[in-house]
Amino acid sequence: MKVGRRLAILLAVVLAASLTLIGGRATPAAHASAKAAKLTIWVDNVQKPAVDKIASAWGTRRGVDVNVTFHAFGSIRDDLKTVKTENAPDVIVAAHDWTGDLAANGLVAPLFPTKAIKKQFPAYALNAFSYGGKLYGAPYALENVGLVVNTRLVKVPTTFAQFEKEALAFKHKSADNIALAVPQGSGGDAYHMYPFFSGLGGFVFGSGKNGALNPNKIGVANKTFLKNAPLIDKWNREGLINSKVDYGTGKNAWLKQKAAFWITGPWETDALKASGIPFRIIQLPKIKFRSVPFLGVQGMMVTKFAAAHGVASLAKDLVANEMMKPSFQLDLEQANLRYPANIVAGKRVSDPVLKQFGKAGIGGVPMPNIPQMGSVWAELGGAWVKATKGPGATPARVAFATAARNIAAKIAGG
Amino acid sequence: MSAFSGTVGLALKIAFLSIVNALGIWAAVVLIDHHKWRAVAVLAAATAGLDAIYLVKRWTLPLKFLIPGTIFLLAFHVVPVAYTVNVAFTNYSTGHILSKSEAIAGIKVNSLTEVENGKAYTIAPARDKGGHFLLVLRDDSGATFIGTKDGLRPIPRSDVTVSDGAITAARGYRVLKGTELGSLDKELSTFTVPLGGDKAIQPQGFDTAVVLAPTLRYDPKADGFVRLKDGVLFKDNNRGSFVAANGEELEPGWKTYVGTRNFSRIAHSSLIRDPFLKVFVWTLVFASLVVFISFALGLLLAITLNKPGLSFQRTYRALLVIPFAVPAFLSLLVWQGLLNDDFGVVNRLFHTSIPWLFDPNWARVSVILVSVWLVTLPLLLVAVAPLMIASFAFNFNNFGNIYLLTGGGPALGNSPVAGATDILISYTYKIAFAAGKGQDYGLASALAIIIFFVVATISAVSFTRTKALENLA
Repeated sequence: MKVGRRLAILLAVVLAASLTLIGGRATPAAHASAKAAKLTIWVDNVQKPAVDKIASAWGTRRGVDVNVTFHAFGSIRDDLKTVKTENAPDVIVAAHDWTGDLAANGLVAPLFPTKAIKKQFPAYALNAFSYGGKLYGAPYALENVGLVVNTRLVKVPTTFAQFEKEALAFKHKSADNIALAVPQGSGGDAYHMYPFFSGLGGFVFGSGKNGALNPNKIGVANKTFLKNAPLIDKWNREGLINSKVDYGTGKNAWLKQKAAFWITGPWETDALKASGIPFRIIQLPKIKFRSVPFLGVQGMMVTKFAAAHGVASLAKDLVANEMMKPSFQLDLEQANLRYPANIVAGKRVSDPVLKQFGKAGIGGVPMPNIPQMGSVWAELGGAWVKATKGPGATPARVAFATAARNIAAKIAGG
Repeated sequence: MSAFSGTVGLALKIAFLSIVNALGIWAAVVLIDHHKWRAVAVLAAATAGLDAIYLVKRWTLPLKFLIPGTIFLLAFHVVPVAYTVNVAFTNYSTGHILSKSEAIAGIKVNSLTEVENGKAYTIAPARDKGGHFLLVLRDDSGATFIGTKDGLRPIPRSDVTVSDGAITAARGYRVLKGTELGSLDKELSTFTVPLGGDKAIQPQGFDTAVVLAPTLRYDPKADGFVRLKDGVLFKDNNRGSFVAANGEELEPGWKTYVGTRNFSRIAHSSLIRDPFLKVFVWTLVFASLVVFISFALGLLLAITLNKPGLSFQRTYRALLVIPFAVPAFLSLLVWQGLLNDDFGVVNRLFHTSIPWLFDPNWARVSVILVSVWLVTLPLLLVAVAPLMIASFAFNFNNFGNIYLLTGGGPALGNSPVAGATDILISYTYKIAFAAGKGQDYGLASALAIIIFFVVATISAVSFTRTKALENLA
């Protein structure tokens, strides 16, 4: 009897609850089929306002429901690999060095913008998003490091010798001073060290005959670089570069005026402006070669899911057409604090800090976008750490030759 | 009357069971949508079973307490383990995450290449009087065409109205505009205008189209792709890729079972085999020293702090709980800063210049010291043998400490991957995620299984010893 009553109550509640759930599930589906199409975009917070703006205007014009969803930038790439088709995005914001990984996994679709549109972009920005000769992303922003000079403490150097002299003279003024705030730490930081690497003739991967990067042509210990490498030992001896400076230490030192030089990028724009320190941003002066930085390019990609969702044309129209226009790129520049990739938009940038970072990146090298780059970061950073750790450092030639050997072994082993 | 009965208890139970049942019914509807009949049957049986257990009064009492634990055990232990074992026998890695049919579709899309010097058209989707879908096209020279599934047909320029670079009207056709375009996608994105041979005009969005041609063709009979320019055949290599005779591989590949290949790779790769012993020995040393020192120190502190009449006893005890209260990854990052050779507090305080994180041996000392600091208290509270074994097993796989403090570094001169402080688990991580061509989940799972057997063996031996100890006493 008692069990019977319980069962009755249970059944009633279950029925009510499951009907609500099923009802909740059915409504959006019915809604979606009534409406024309729905396009989902994954963006991070910084891009969201600009993407919201363009997407709603474009969506109204095209008769599309655009769903701009926040997704943490750092997890977009890996989440795209595991997401279920029904929840998958049609368009994502992406860093150019994901291109090889995502294209090799078959997760993104090639884009074919018109020549007129392509002309508005520097070739390297398009190359940065190309893999196997195909373009997979519409670049919208560039970023790179520059040499930030505290003009109250030192003169802006025009040659490397001048930079070296100024930095060391400042260091010798006080035991607390650092000659150059360039982050490394025990893990190393091949990205921030790249201007020194390129200035000595180093490169990561050579390219094959079709212009695509060749993972078997490793330039980490090429002849020219090894010939110039003893300069690294000299910098280590005199204390110009010290691998014990990590990101926090370096930033602090510059902000507290314990360092006159800082290698950093536009992500520190707010800190730079808030510091009240008078500064100029330049490209590190030429060492043996131009000391160009690594370039990071951000862009938008169309995923393979757009086709499954029946919005492939819409996604291509938005990404390869709307989003490559100067107006969208300028909107993003305001929110993103990055130099726009579109040349026409770039000419209209007014922020002095962004302009200077933009100039410091001229001639820069896009970070290799092939998946094998994963084998490089730790080794290249590690070679710098070992060669610049002060007393007892490994001779640079040995450190970089070892790194090159290890990278080759890792790539072959994978 | 216990706390589990009474009106409140009954209401809670009914509410809880209702949620379970409602979720079950909802899940069943979803599964039926996907025609997963076996799963529906399992789901129905499980839900009915749960109802029976909690509604029937007497004989199911022990089950009422066992079921929740069992469910969580299944969800958080058995399922991940089964998944890991399953993955260990696949090639799941960068370039191998799709199914085979998805990979074939992906290769076809990737093989489309611009021809005719990247010739592009301005287009407008339109319909003829019969409602048939077609394209109005205009090339760079201003020549105008109608494009249908049968091909390209020129029409007089005067028939087409162009404003601001876009085609707005065409005589005899209705150009589709504005919100009409949103619902057009299915027709448009598969629509191509053949140009003879393999070439075709393919729309890219709504305003432009380019001339594309495939460089590869799938041959279902040979189960492979033929490269059109030289006839090279890329065949299924049974390991999730289409590969040519010269070893050239098409991307993407697909996820498939590869038998014990991951295990034989571990056995044969010098990258993994050579430093394995070194890393293994260091793992043992690390785990034993951390357990031993923290046990000794913990015991010492326990005895000291228990001394009757000790002033500030409560304060000391409270201080000891701090490592527990602060999340481990936070304190690890703080320690990393404290131990910085030139700028860290530790060296400045003691006027030393010990290369805590930069010298292989000192880095090893640092890792042990910091781990001891972090695990002192559990042993203070529970200084018994089985827990020491558990602690050993935990430290054996203490990935967080190693990864956050030294990242396994500093690098050992002659080993490509392993650093001086790498333990097996952090080494596995590096092999799987920072080597070769990106991520290799299959290899990582195989290594994880091997590590499991190592830990299991050590723990089993230790437990047997403990039993012997008990027997002696």
